[in-house]
Formats: sequence, structure tokens, C-alpha cells
Amino acid sequence: MSWLRRSSAPLAWALLLVTLMLLMPRLEEGFRLIAPDARTLIYQRDSFASLVANHLLVVGVASLCAILLGMGAAILVTRPWGRDFLPLVSQLASIGQTFPPVAVLALAVPVLGFGSVPTIVALVLYGLLPIVRNTLVGIQGISPGVMESAHGMGMSGRQILWQVELPLARPVILAGIRTSVTINIATAAIGSTIGARTLGDPIIAGIVNGNTAFILQGAILIALLALCVDSLFERLQ
Amino acid sequence: MPDQSGAAPALIELDAVTKRFGDATAVDAISLAIPRGELCVLVGTSGCGKSTTLRMINRLIEHSSGQIRIDGQQIRDVDEQRLRRRIGYAIQSTGLFPHWTVARNIGLVPRLLRWPAARIAARVSELLALLGLDEDEFAGKYPHQLSGGQAQRVGVARALAADPEILLMDEPFGALDPITRESLQDELLRLQARLHKTIVFVTHDMDEALKLADRLVVMDTGRIVQQGSAAALLQAPANAFVESLLGGRDRGLKHAALTRVAERMRPLTDAQAGGPAVDTLGVSADDSLRQALSLMLWHGVDSLLVSDTQGQVVGSLSLQDAVVERNTRA
Amino acid sequence: MSNVTSDTCALPPAAPNPVLLVLTALAAGAIVGLPLVSVQPNRIMPGEGLTLWALGGPMALTGALMVLAGLTWLAWRPTRRALSAALTLVGLCLALLPWALVVVAAAQIEPGMSSARIGLGAGLWALLFLLLLMLLELINRLALSPLLRWGLLLGLGLSLLLALTGGGLDGLALMREYHGRRAAFHAALRYHLLLVSAVVGISLLLAAGLALAMRRWSGLRRGTFSVLSVLQTIPSLALFGLLLAPLAYLAVRFTWLGDLGVRGIGWAPALIALVAYSLLPMTRNAFVALDEVAADVTDAARGMGMSPAQVFWQVRLPLALPVMLEGIRITAVQAIGLAAVAALIGAGGLGTFIFQGLGQAAMDLVLLGALPIILIALLVDGLFSALAEQLRRAQGRGETAHA
Repeated sequence: MSWLRRSSAPLAWALLLVTLMLLMPRLEEGFRLIAPDARTLIYQRDSFASLVANHLLVVGVASLCAILLGMGAAILVTRPWGRDFLPLVSQLASIGQTFPPVAVLALAVPVLGFGSVPTIVALVLYGLLPIVRNTLVGIQGISPGVMESAHGMGMSGRQILWQVELPLARPVILAGIRTSVTINIATAAIGSTIGARTLGDPIIAGIVNGNTAFILQGAILIALLALCVDSLFERLQ
Repeated sequence: MPDQSGAAPALIELDAVTKRFGDATAVDAISLAIPRGELCVLVGTSGCGKSTTLRMINRLIEHSSGQIRIDGQQIRDVDEQRLRRRIGYAIQSTGLFPHWTVARNIGLVPRLLRWPAARIAARVSELLALLGLDEDEFAGKYPHQLSGGQAQRVGVARALAADPEILLMDEPFGALDPITRESLQDELLRLQARLHKTIVFVTHDMDEALKLADRLVVMDTGRIVQQGSAAALLQAPANAFVESLLGGRDRGLKHAALTRVAERMRPLTDAQAGGPAVDTLGVSADDSLRQALSLMLWHGVDSLLVSDTQGQVVGSLSLQDAVVERNTRA
Repeated sequence: MSNVTSDTCALPPAAPNPVLLVLTALAAGAIVGLPLVSVQPNRIMPGEGLTLWALGGPMALTGALMVLAGLTWLAWRPTRRALSAALTLVGLCLALLPWALVVVAAAQIEPGMSSARIGLGAGLWALLFLLLLMLLELINRLALSPLLRWGLLLGLGLSLLLALTGGGLDGLALMREYHGRRAAFHAALRYHLLLVSAVVGISLLLAAGLALAMRRWSGLRRGTFSVLSVLQTIPSLALFGLLLAPLAYLAVRFTWLGDLGVRGIGWAPALIALVAYSLLPMTRNAFVALDEVAADVTDAARGMGMSPAQVFWQVRLPLALPVMLEGIRITAVQAIGLAAVAALIGAGGLGTFIFQGLGQAAMDLVLLGALPIILIALLVDGLFSALAEQLRRAQGRGETAHA
């Protein structure tokens, strides 16, 4: 019961998302009010379900890689033998975040070409930064007293990492992952301009053809997807 | 010590003053009259209403009922900002503005009162000198560059800046280490001997209260439990609460700390003539009885020679003299 | 952190600096293995990648590797003097990089070939990136003062600017694209900056109002922040899209709005969406900044007899300003990036080149949009950080100097 209440917000968003995703073709009459002149009112090239699934897949793969790489890098440079790299990595993470995600996405094309793979690579690269930064902040924010007593009681480096550092840094790390995933969902949508098949497709198609109905269909589904994932993180935190 | 029952009209008068926060009564119908030039210490455990009482005097907190008068005038009738500019205010964390230099901090109230710049500058130098802070060194510093004791001196200087008749001090030395605290307490007594301000001082430290107070006001759960001179309270605590606050069984020593050796010693003529001194140990006539007793305990002797400030032996103090007050002087 | 490391490396028997060693090794790999530039006969034909060996033969390759070997030697015994020497070396390399390109361009493009162009290859980008990392690392280790740091950056920027304006780099594909649409580029740049300034200005005013209202009516706080954070969560493309339909409707319904330029497509949805995104960081920083001014300080201010207005203008606001500036910095950097996305819905700005370039598969056009956006973002970030730090210092509260 309490589990149901705790997860009710993400569940509600998810339910709304799935319902709209499946029922969108039936709302044709509604969209006619918005785009009376359009020849087709419902985006046809792909089913919305496959677009949602692909969007999630792109974001999911990218986020997973970003989490593994980002946390791994941050953990490495906070170990005694990796500490030499700490100042550089920490500065790189904060400078990198000033780069606009679109620019990173655009720069992936000359190197990797068009398609889903360059999108994923760009998302991983950009998504790394908030995770690295927050993991560093989380680990370095642990009070020296706690670390000293952990060492003093004879815990090994591995034990300190798993039983002290990561649990204490958890909220900050999670916040970083949340930021990263939120940015990734938004950037993946723009990824359809470089050939990734995502929920950005109907919007881009709508802009190109001057079809407001397409734009709205894509926009609503992306917004719901983002809200659903974000509320999931809100529960986790 | 001034006479508490003196007829001089009180400068600050609280008359059945009550403060309620919602349903809770923080201060419950207290009445208090503080004469001009008196250092009045409000003491009690935390939450007893002493700070609230203090802050009602400069209207940082408005009282719910009763009357507070300064110089016979109800403070409700005075513009609150004008009232506060007339009253010095110093608090525990100093509340110095971190973005202003020491000099600018001290000159705050004179500036609010629109003194001419030259007069403000002169006043700031005067105050820095008064509080033993070198002007060249400190005037341009920022608060975070000061030690705790220095910051608190600046806080007191700022409170004194416009030469207010009244000074409100809310645990001003509470955050300092014992040695700094003691030296600032001495400083305050020295200042007070020169300036004769009317000071309301809040503390939870009974030793501080006993040391500073002309009049001690013990508060508990929003009420005044007892007021009087330190000696009077020690002699006859009104109830168990006051007694425990005064240190319970340590009370004798606290009282001894308030008594000067000069009051108990036998002058030289009374001392056994020609006999060698029991010990080369000696105390000063200005030391407290407590220090004398401590010396006796430590060295295992039962009498001490007493010297004056020039180091001349002026008398002796025996354990008997120290412990029992003689009713009649020889 | 940087202070500690600089102290330890000032001690005589210094251990090798592994960061510099790794970066140097990677740079060597990039020089040997990756194409530095590509030469294209015209805009459409794919270019031919050229490594340093192909460009300059054994002499050039040996020279470059010698420089890297020198860096390795300096990194092996990183005394302060060695690191200063390394910094000079890296700085020189970065400053000379554009001039090396000038030489390459002159050698590779024959005078008559006005459509031939030189593209920057993966090796050059990697080398640039690695050299910048080395610079960053050395600046950290040496704990360089802000003045020296800005001076160094200014010198590098100046060198690049001279090379660009001198005409020697006109053979670069990027420059060819620039010269092809010089007027459009400058207009887009101005427009981008204007849009971002408008967004920052408007959201600053709105956020200040919101923050003050939330301080007065604390009930407003929860609701406002949750609405703003939901707005922040919605992806930019979606928010632009969602605004499009109602704005298009309004423009049709009220023609005077349409005359003003409010349309489904164009600056109106971009401005509204960008302001909506900016409100959360701006409001949060303004509110937290004002709210976090220590209670004892404002208490003392009131106790001294300052009026509420005096407390606000002389104490609360000045103390809150550095944190509020932080909000402006975050907002501005974010808006610079999001304004690029707004080009998709016809808002103009530098993003136009990115999406045009993507559409035509003209990568150098993409660069023409993306590089200035990144540079502006970095510049704005650096300027606002420096400003906030300066303000803290002026208020006697240097970053490290807390009592």
C-alpha cells in the first residue's frame, strides 16, 4: 500500500504516457482544430510506441554508459594512487558543463557521422560531466572526521568505498544522475536532426512541413516521458 | 555597590511586561527597575525568557502587554528606529557586517544619525583606542580577519559608537574561550568604571554574572525568581532553583570569589611580632578570598602573608580569618 | 586542493607528474597516428586526410616529437622551475598552432584554387584538446594568479585572432564558410547575443520579484519551486513545440500580436521558453542568497536602528549579490546553449548554421555555428565567475579566506 503511494506519481505519468501513445491516432478530430489545413493529422512514419521505445533505448544506453564511466572516473581519481588526476578531472567536468549540449551533439557528426550511434556517443560524453562532478562533490564532501574514524577502525580501502563513501555520497550522486538523464532526454530529442530515431522526429517533421499537429504530438509525448522519468528519480532520492 | 532600594528614578522600567508567542508565554508579567549607571545582569537557563526580555527593551520584539519605560517615556511611543539608535546593542556572534571594514562597522550608528564625516572618523579612532585596538592595524580590516576576542571588541565599540546611555548585551562573550572571555569581562568592568552606562547584560554563565553584576536578576520560565546583589543572592537564595544555579555546594567558593582578601586580613600590627613568616607565600590584598584559599590548599598552609600593590607586607590571613567572618574588628 | 599539490611539488625530490606524462604520450599518439588536416578540392568532394608525416616529412615529425620529449623530461622532475618551463612550452605550442596551419594552408592550396579548402582533422582536434588539458594542469599545479591566467588566455586569443584576420587561414574550410556568409554570420551572432541578453534581463526581473514575494509569503515557496522545476524538466524541443500552437492561435486571433512578431514560429516562443527555463536557477539563487544572509547580521542591523529599507539595500542585498551573480551565470550559459536549439523553430541565431549544416551535411558550417556558441559560453562563464570572485574579494570575503 505504501509502496503504491510512494510510486504513484511516476506511475500516473507513465500511465498517461502509454495511454496517449496508444490513443494518439484516435485523437485526429482534436488535432484538426489545431491544424485545420494539414493533409495528414497524425504522424505516420513510425508508431508512437516505437518512437517512445527507441527514445528510451537511446537515453538508457547512453545514461548507463555515462553512469559507469562517470562514477568510475570519479572514484578512480579520489583513490590515493589516482589523486594526481583529481584537479584536472574536476575542472574538466565543470568547464565541460558550460558546453551547450546541442553543440556537443553537432560536433559528434563530423567525427562519427549521422545516426543513433553518434547521438549515443554525444549523450554519453555530455552526460558524464554532471555525474563525475557530483560524485566528486559527494565523496569529497564527506566530513574528514568520518573518513578518519573509518581508517582508524581498520576498514580497508574497498570497505570504506562501499560502506562509507558511496552510501554517504548517494544523494549527491543521484542528483547528478538525474541532471544527466534529464539533459539526455532533451538532447536525444534534438538527436533526430542528426538521424537518431526519437520522439524528436514528429517535431522536426512538423517544423519542416508546417504541421502543428505533428509538433504537438511529439512535444506532448516527450514532455510526459521527461516528467515520468524525473518523478521516478524524485522517488529514488 | 549601589544601593538597590535607592530613591534615584530608574532609567529603564519594566512594569508587568508579558510576551506571548501564540499560546506560549515567553515572559510572564515581569517588573524590573534599573537605575541609571547600573550593570544589571539577567541570568537563567536557556529558554527562560532573558533574551526576549532584553530584545523587548529595544523593540526587536514587541511586548504583548504591560509597560516598558525609558526615562519615564513609554517605548511604544517612540519611533523604533530612533529608539534603537539611542541604545547600544551587542550580541554573541557580534553581528558585524562581513562586507564592511571595522571602521565602517563602528561608524554605523553615527552615520545613521547623520553625523558629519569628520566627527564619525574622530569617534571611530576614539573607540578603537578605548577598546585597545590599534587604529592603523585594525581600522581597514574586515571582520573575518579578526580573532573572536577582537571581533567582540569591535562589536562593543560599535554598540558604544553614538555614546548611548543604555547598552544591551546579549551573551556577548558566550562564544569566546575562557581566557579571552575573562579579559573582556575585566575590560567591560574597566569601561563601566569610566563610562557609567546603564547596561542590561544577558548570560547563562553564573560566574560571569556574579563577576559583572551590580544587580543580578535570576529568571526561570519567564518569571523573575530573585533579584539583588551577588552577595545577597549567595547569602540567601530564594529557592532551590537559584541555589542550584549558584552552584549548589560550590556556593561558598563563589562567595569567596566576590570577597577581597583586604576585607578579612589582620593588619600587620595584629600579626605575631618578630616571628618569621610561616611561609614565603603571599597574596595581594586585592586578590579574592577564593584565590587565597586555593593557595592555602595547594601548599598545605593555614596562613598567608598579605602584601599591597607595592609588594609591602601589610598583614596576614589565617584559615580561620578566611572561613569565618569576624563580627568585630580588633 | 591546488594549493596543497603546489606545495608538495615545490619540495625538491618531486615524483614524476603522471598527468602530464599521460597527456604527452596521448599527444604523441595523435601526431603520429591521426590525420591532422584534410584537403578538399571543393565543398562537396570528401577530403584526403594528411598526417604530420605526409605534411612535413621526417623533419616535422621529429621536431614535434622532440618538443613532446622535452615536456616528458620536464614532467619527470616537476620542480616549480620545470613546470614553469613546461607551461611556457605548452603556451608557445598553442600560440603557434594557428600559424602552423597558415604554413600548411600556403603549402597545400595552390594560388588559383579558390574552392579548395583545408578541413581540420581528428588529430588536430585531439592535439588541441590535449594541449589545453596540459595548460589547465600546469596552471593548477603552479597555482597561477588570476591575473596571469587571464593574461595567458588573452595572449593565446590574440595569436589566434591575428592568424584569422591576417588572411593566411582563408583556405580553411571554416573560413571559406565564414566568408561565404559573413553578413549572415554577424547578424546571427548579434541576434544570438540579443536574445540571450533579453532572456537574462527579463528572467532577472521576474526572479527578483518572485524571490521577494516568496520571502514575504512563505506559502508561495513550495508551489513556485515545484512549478519551476517541472518546467525545467520538460525538454527544450518539446517546450518550444508546446508553445507553438497557442502562440500561432493568438497571432491569428489578435492581429496586433502578429504585427509585433508574435507567431508560432520565430522569436516569441523562443523567448518565452528560454525565460521559463531561466526562472528556476535565477529564482532559486536569488531566494537562497537573500534568505541565507546570516540572521545575526540582520538582527544586529535592526538592533542598531536601521530601517527595513536600509537593512535590505545596505546589508542583505550586498551580501546576497555574489550568490545572485552565480544564478545569472548559470542562466546565461544555459540560455546561450538553448538559444541554439531555438533556431529549429525559426528563432534565428547561431544555431541556424548548425542545423543548416546538418541538413546539407556540411560539417564546416556546423562548426561555424557550434564553435562560436561554445566560445561565448566559456567566455560568459569565465567573466561572471571572475566578477563574483571580485565582488567577494571587494567585500573582504575571498573564497579561501573564511574565518
